[in-house]
Amino acid sequence: MSDPARRHERRWAAAILASLGLLALLPLVVRRDDVLNFVFLILLSITLAESWNIVAGYAGQVNLGHAAFFGLGALVARTLWIDGTPIGLGLAAGAALATLFALVIGVAAFRLRGAYFAIGTLALGEILRTTVNNALPEISTLSAATIAGYRLTQRYYLALVLAALSVLVVAALAGSRLGLGMRAIREDEEAAEASGVGALRLKLTALALSTGMAGLAGGVFAFYHISYYPSHPFSPHWTFDALLMTFIGGVGTLHGPVLGAVLYVVLKEYVALRWVDFHLLIFGALFIAIVLLLPGGLVQAAARVRRLVQR
Amino acid sequence: MSVLAQQLLLGLLIGGLYGLAAAGLSLVFGVLKVLDVAHGELIMLGGYMAFFAVALLGLDPFVSLLLVIPLSVLLGLALYWGLFGFVVRADEETRVKNSLLIGFGLALALHALAVRLWTADERSIITPWGGSVISVGGLSIPVVRLVSLAVAFALIGGLHLLLARWRWGKAIRATAEDWQAALLTGIDVRRAYLLAFAIGTGLAGAAGTLVTIGYSVSPSIGLEWTLKALIVVVLAGLGSMIGTFVGGLLLGVAEAASAAAFGGPYREVVGLVIFVVVLVVRPRGLFGR
Amino acid sequence: MLEIRDLEAAYGDIPVLSGVTLSVGPGEIVALLGPNGAGKSTLLNVVAGLLRPRAGSIRFDGADLASVRAHLVVERGVALVPEGRRLFGTMTVEENLELGAFAARARATRAAGLERVWALFPDLRERRRQLVRSLSGGQQQMVAVGRALMTNPRLLMLDEPSLGIAPRLVRSIMESLAEINRGGVAVFLVEQNVQAALGLADRGYVLESGRIAGHGSAADLLRDPHVRRAYLGPLAVRE
Repeated sequence: MSDPARRHERRWAAAILASLGLLALLPLVVRRDDVLNFVFLILLSITLAESWNIVAGYAGQVNLGHAAFFGLGALVARTLWIDGTPIGLGLAAGAALATLFALVIGVAAFRLRGAYFAIGTLALGEILRTTVNNALPEISTLSAATIAGYRLTQRYYLALVLAALSVLVVAALAGSRLGLGMRAIREDEEAAEASGVGALRLKLTALALSTGMAGLAGGVFAFYHISYYPSHPFSPHWTFDALLMTFIGGVGTLHGPVLGAVLYVVLKEYVALRWVDFHLLIFGALFIAIVLLLPGGLVQAAARVRRLVQR
Repeated sequence: MSVLAQQLLLGLLIGGLYGLAAAGLSLVFGVLKVLDVAHGELIMLGGYMAFFAVALLGLDPFVSLLLVIPLSVLLGLALYWGLFGFVVRADEETRVKNSLLIGFGLALALHALAVRLWTADERSIITPWGGSVISVGGLSIPVVRLVSLAVAFALIGGLHLLLARWRWGKAIRATAEDWQAALLTGIDVRRAYLLAFAIGTGLAGAAGTLVTIGYSVSPSIGLEWTLKALIVVVLAGLGSMIGTFVGGLLLGVAEAASAAAFGGPYREVVGLVIFVVVLVVRPRGLFGR
Repeated sequence: MLEIRDLEAAYGDIPVLSGVTLSVGPGEIVALLGPNGAGKSTLLNVVAGLLRPRAGSIRFDGADLASVRAHLVVERGVALVPEGRRLFGTMTVEENLELGAFAARARATRAAGLERVWALFPDLRERRRQLVRSLSGGQQQMVAVGRALMTNPRLLMLDEPSLGIAPRLVRSIMESLAEINRGGVAVFLVEQNVQAALGLADRGYVLESGRIAGHGSAADLLRDPHVRRAYLGPLAVRE
């Protein structure tokens, strides 16, 4: 990545972190739950998108099983938490299991190229979802005592910290030697292999970071909901959401997924007022347009506009 | 014992539909090197076409195929001209990746459109002679599903003949094997792509019709059938339509066997597990070149 | 018949051909020689329509050929036998040949064309229903030439027909090409086997690093010291 582009990204990283910092003050100013819920969803989406971005944008592989790790994190965190474990430990355990699972399947999965990796991970995600659905078909609820002690702001801050963390991880990755190596693989895998980049290890590292974050996000999701179906976070629509947000914003960039996440959630909430799921029609079409015409997403579009204006 | 045999038979019957669903995807992937993950949505649309043909025009459900297949072929032409025709301009690897993404976007859009137009409810076609059953040696064979299997087999057989005897069928096979050599032989490869995609979509429409007749249709069957088709394509490998059909039958039977062994809910899982295992161990599939 | 002027071509950013000018007259046999990587295959691919040139012109019978799509180049009467044969392995000999008559110009003459191929390559007639991938290299080459011939060309281009073929088969292939030429088809031949190529051709060009480095009659080229040193090896210099 060129220096001005890197500086540009860093400026964006700073701006995003600053905004997140401001958002930390939100619960002190606004008491309304619906606003906090809305922002919570945005924050969680940012984490989902940025974590997905790590494998797609930096290691160049389309992982369609992302929801599996989101779900695993949720499952473990929820189970431990309901059992009495402090949520912090629960979150960590969820992330750890998600990462472990990812590494185990990653070795096999990364033997698949391109599209086969994508559909293979999709299948794996579905296997997990179906199994969990069959094993735990009943809704998971909290005890009355826990519900009484429920603080939305706690969840809010967790999501906020997580979103900031995901941005920082991607920022650190982008600038590091690790990130450079990953990008080399993304550009041309064979050439990178030949130059001794150790493709598999890099891809597994990317996968570990990505799924770890997804697992944390899942844990926060499980901590947030009072009741939900355990198989719900395993649903592929979480993956598809992450895909849409990242691509539309700009895959492989730092701020693209954040922009995409914000746009996606805002539009979804707005459109859902009138037509449920219609936002998917819009985003589906937008997504196609981006893949065909503007692979760099909105970030690329903005860059072009800037260049035009500068002339 | 006969309960198991009954289960396996039902698995075989739906397996024929899996094979038909996969045939269209296999054709498109084999010829264009395009992985249309919206294929399930095309099946879903075919199902709705059939439903409305029966509900609004009063056609016999199987006769509606005569309307649905040409309509689906037209849809395929439109999708190729409007969308996938652009994807094939890139080299093979980019093509596969782009088609995956674009198919994904298309699937989302079509799914949302279907929900908007027809709601998320399931629709089904009631055949006048539905529910009737042929008893053979202690097994009861639902007539409707048997006819569906026969139709699926006939369509696959017809496709095989089309590819083997028809001038453009041979051109399509040649293009699938080596598109540059095909160009050098005077074959308009873009037209071969168009034909293959249109035929593939036609097959999807037919599959959707049979699914709606034998089972039901709703907007959400898209992803489910895309996965089934993918599993069969990977299991059977590319290059043989008959092989794909057999692969479908195998999947149907495997599902039935696993449901009998481990219980109903795990029916779906076995297909996916087979899929992943075959992908990693033998990507060429059972019958693939 | 075929006029190439100042042709420039590239693969992506890598330039391969610059300022190539050559011609093939009706009924001629012209050879294109040169080391590996000189761009000989690229030149044929450009003429055949598989690759768009960056600059320059290609004219066939006075009409522009450079912007014509590959399958339509075949319709004009220019056929290429590509390097490595590129046959349709899962099809039979007969099916491969018949596909050669796919283009409109060839459809009417399909039966006659098939007879012509059997006459040239009697071995193939016996193997007409055999799958092409089960044939030997030499037989596959025959099918490849036959398939191109089925397009009813006026100009037949070949990219390294002798590659991977046993020496005595090479001679038989060259003889077949001579026979085809006697039937009125011009031949444009890219060959590593300079001896065989110049033995067959009327004229030749030498392509080095994407440029024409020399040209002349076959006899002249055979005597040319640079050609002899570079392509014919120390043994040939004795003569």
